[in-house]
Amino acid sequence: MIERMDERYPVYRIRVRDMDESQLMEISKSMGLALNREEMLRIRSYFRDLGRDPTDVELQAIGQAWSEHCCYKSSKYVLKKYIVGIDAPQVYLVGEDAGVVEFDDDHVYVFKMESHNHPSFVEPYGGAATGVGGIIRDVLCMGAKPIALVDSIFFGRLDYPYENLQKGTKHPKFLFNGVVAGIRDYGNRVGIPTISGITYFNNFFLNNILVNVGCIGICKKDDVIHSRVNKVNENLVLVGGKTGRDGIHGVTFASKVFDREENVERTAVQLGNPIIKEPLIHAVLEAVDEKIVDGMKDLGGGGLSSVVGEMCLAGGVGAEVFLEKVPLKESNMAPWEIWISESQERMMIAVSDENLQKLMDIFNHWGLEASVIGRTIKEKVLKLYYNGIKVMDLDLSFITSGPVYCRPYRIKYPSQVILDTIPPEPSYNEIFDKIISHLNVKSKYSVFSQYDHEVKGNTIIKPLNGKIGMGTHSDASVIKPLENKYRGLAITSTSNPMLTSLDPYWGAMSIFDEAVRNLVSSNAIPHSMADNLNMGNPENPEVMGQLYEVARGLGEAARALGIPYVSGNVSLYNENNGVSIPPTPTLMAVGIVKDIRRVITTSFKGFGNPVYLINETRREMGGSIYYDILGIESHIVPKVNLVELREISSMILKAMGKRYIKSCHDISEGGLAVTLAEMSMGTGIGIDADISSIEFMRSDFKLFSESNTRWVVEIDRDYENEFLNLMNGIKIHKIGYLNDNGILRIRDGRRNIIKKDVEYIRDLWGGSIE
Amino acid sequence: MNNGGIRVAVLRMEGTNCEEESLNSMKNVGANSEYVHIRDLINGKKNIHDYHMLFFPGGFSGGDYVRAGAIFASMIKGPLLREIVKFIEDEKVVLGVCNGFQVLVELGLLPGIGGVMSEKPQAVLAPNISNRFECRWVYVKIEENNCKFIKYKKGDLISLPIAHAEGRFMLPLDREEEYLQDMIHKKQIVMRYADSSGNYSGYPWNPNGSIYNIAGICNEIGNVFGLMPHPERAFFRYQHPEFTINGGKNYGKNVFEGIMEYLNKKF
Repeated sequence: MIERMDERYPVYRIRVRDMDESQLMEISKSMGLALNREEMLRIRSYFRDLGRDPTDVELQAIGQAWSEHCCYKSSKYVLKKYIVGIDAPQVYLVGEDAGVVEFDDDHVYVFKMESHNHPSFVEPYGGAATGVGGIIRDVLCMGAKPIALVDSIFFGRLDYPYENLQKGTKHPKFLFNGVVAGIRDYGNRVGIPTISGITYFNNFFLNNILVNVGCIGICKKDDVIHSRVNKVNENLVLVGGKTGRDGIHGVTFASKVFDREENVERTAVQLGNPIIKEPLIHAVLEAVDEKIVDGMKDLGGGGLSSVVGEMCLAGGVGAEVFLEKVPLKESNMAPWEIWISESQERMMIAVSDENLQKLMDIFNHWGLEASVIGRTIKEKVLKLYYNGIKVMDLDLSFITSGPVYCRPYRIKYPSQVILDTIPPEPSYNEIFDKIISHLNVKSKYSVFSQYDHEVKGNTIIKPLNGKIGMGTHSDASVIKPLENKYRGLAITSTSNPMLTSLDPYWGAMSIFDEAVRNLVSSNAIPHSMADNLNMGNPENPEVMGQLYEVARGLGEAARALGIPYVSGNVSLYNENNGVSIPPTPTLMAVGIVKDIRRVITTSFKGFGNPVYLINETRREMGGSIYYDILGIESHIVPKVNLVELREISSMILKAMGKRYIKSCHDISEGGLAVTLAEMSMGTGIGIDADISSIEFMRSDFKLFSESNTRWVVEIDRDYENEFLNLMNGIKIHKIGYLNDNGILRIRDGRRNIIKKDVEYIRDLWGGSIE
Repeated sequence: MNNGGIRVAVLRMEGTNCEEESLNSMKNVGANSEYVHIRDLINGKKNIHDYHMLFFPGGFSGGDYVRAGAIFASMIKGPLLREIVKFIEDEKVVLGVCNGFQVLVELGLLPGIGGVMSEKPQAVLAPNISNRFECRWVYVKIEENNCKFIKYKKGDLISLPIAHAEGRFMLPLDREEEYLQDMIHKKQIVMRYADSSGNYSGYPWNPNGSIYNIAGICNEIGNVFGLMPHPERAFFRYQHPEFTINGGKNYGKNVFEGIMEYLNKKF
């Protein structure tokens, strides 16, 4: 069934034409193709028509190209239906390696967020580090200079008992420390600030962690490089690191579910090297500046196989590649391994004969490898040679014609909607302490201080803001991307697995709402987003149903607000031993700051200033931190009124434009109480609050509800009347004044509810989360 | 005043990553700054004596996989050692920030007790006592010092950002007291970590556990200055964490202005 083609080299012909179904499946498994029965049958019939058998290289190439990771075969249909093609006034470009959006008359910003879940679970340090490396290359290959990183990471609870761990599963603490160290060591070394992200703990992620990494860059409009090659006779130049056996079958690996035996697929995880990457960034940007790059793409999932195929397909040409010209880390690699290796720090550049020498000189100057490995040809085929042996000759249209599945889906509504049982009224001072020290509320300082979030000197709002030695969570971070302009970019990331697990549709809307809130809080105009959908096994109709609901929620929200998704990533098969993670969409959202000198932060600013709560509070306690602590189940999750979100956002921005607002913080996990506490901790300024003007309900719901579309604002006391006039027609509630005694005091009418020293709160909130 | 302008070489190698803001800081105080890859100095394409200032920027030169700054230092020590000594004897300026400070210590240029350059390092920037990388703002208090270009007065309390894993200034244990007294006596200690009221305190105000809270030192001549905090990240008020609270401060700019004033007067 398998025949060696040449005695010198390990190249094989696989006689698929004569195979029956079980033999085909055996081949799929033994070669690690991860293709299913229908796909293997389709391959067999294709080669039967062709009148020959495929080589091992050809089968591997098809396996890569048809993987979920590369062709989105399960999710394409859903994404197209809901998320793609949102009408928006912003000028943007999609369909490239990263989303490209207009920043000002001369510049675009470029960004993307991507998951690196499976590799990080197997090897947390290396997996997370290479995730960062890969996302940087995605931005870099558009010709953009990477300016900031974002990381949203999800683990099981750090206090999970060791003895309860499933055999072979690593403890959340180990995974968390490894991932943070990987992000830290890569980002810090490569010199790009890590400025935002989520750190989230829930046993949903005990056996399948999530590592979602994002990068944003800035680029002159004229310098945008497309991820394609559209001219014949162009040189294909492979630059950067050498090719090795690391990262073989990464994409097919990412398209499978974990089972215990496969937990050791370590060769599927690549190793990164930030000290090659740092000069690579310089060299690539220098070449872009010289305007000699005709097309560029980074080598990520699928390696050379994906990059050559996709660049040619997008540009309408074919290519001839000579595999022996690829510089190797280990000399004895088989041709198929060279073709699909996912070794890090590599990029493919298309360059004309005329500019080839110039390009080589730039890379030599930076001490980097650059090798011409092939040329483009007119015929739309991919021809591969290895020391004179033709090891592949396939139509591009076949390789890249990955199947699109409209998989069966079932939207599962909770069989019996749990309307919550109302808990007895708590001891407020006690429950407040529990909430403020909840793992998902606590200060992320111990994580963020390990990331160099200030390198390059352009970070205006940092992950924590406030007085030196204090500091509280920022809603969004703000970067000043251009040396001579005050225009800035606000960046935030949101996710809420508690809500999306209870209700994927409203949960998805909630994280969209939160992304908008975070940007608005910082005085940024919400502008565009990247969606990163982490889901379970798509072959399970319920998981597909969740994907539909998440996409529907995200799509509706984006349409109503006119904010497009300019780049996206879907990570499926997040399942371990038959248990899928809950649907966990993560957003990376970008806003435009007209003038960074006018940013607003979350920390309280001045004694005597009045404080207002904007918009309505409802008893929507499902998925809240409060109910999590009490152990109460409820399916009454926060809803979103998209019209309100749009209108109130624009009014707040207007009030900020008029300088009425001194500080602003949205209300999210933990509710109003946490928001007030966080605002106090930035400067140590306390508040005397009275929540009696909030909609009628018990005090605990007022304080701990996580209803959407709400903010707390501190108003300049000299402009209170102007603020009230401006907000006419919007539900606002005056809740108190800032005091000068460093105490957070909350009452509901005549009833005193909470009284805490801000410093006491900081001790609870600020301790290490490890 | 030098008509050709003050020329600054911002040195880079694989892994230095603060060169952009470093170059901009000197550019913004009027210097003629350029990036110089150390390879070009080693192979003679460029000559250090064409410059008035060598700026060793922050980063992770060579990945810092051996010990912070060690790879950078060993690369230039052989081929450039004598030239650098002459450069310093000419009373030109050498500035090392963060990883650059580590390089200067590895080279034996700081603290430089008993000479411009010691054969072996006389100090070390050891791993922080928290045993982790820390990025945050700190206060430092200016000492009475003989640095030729620090304009701040003794007792001034300023805030600057730090971002390092190895910033704990330590002296050889057997000569700790001797070296320290020597540095104090020669006014080589330029800045020390303090708390927000200006008192010398332990961790976290002293972010790495440095002996005597040392944050930055100069050599005996006063023209080689190394510090762990990043003045180039504190050049504009809007970079300061308290910008939205009280308008912020740009304490770092003063360091670069001082260097320019000194160089303009001298050359």
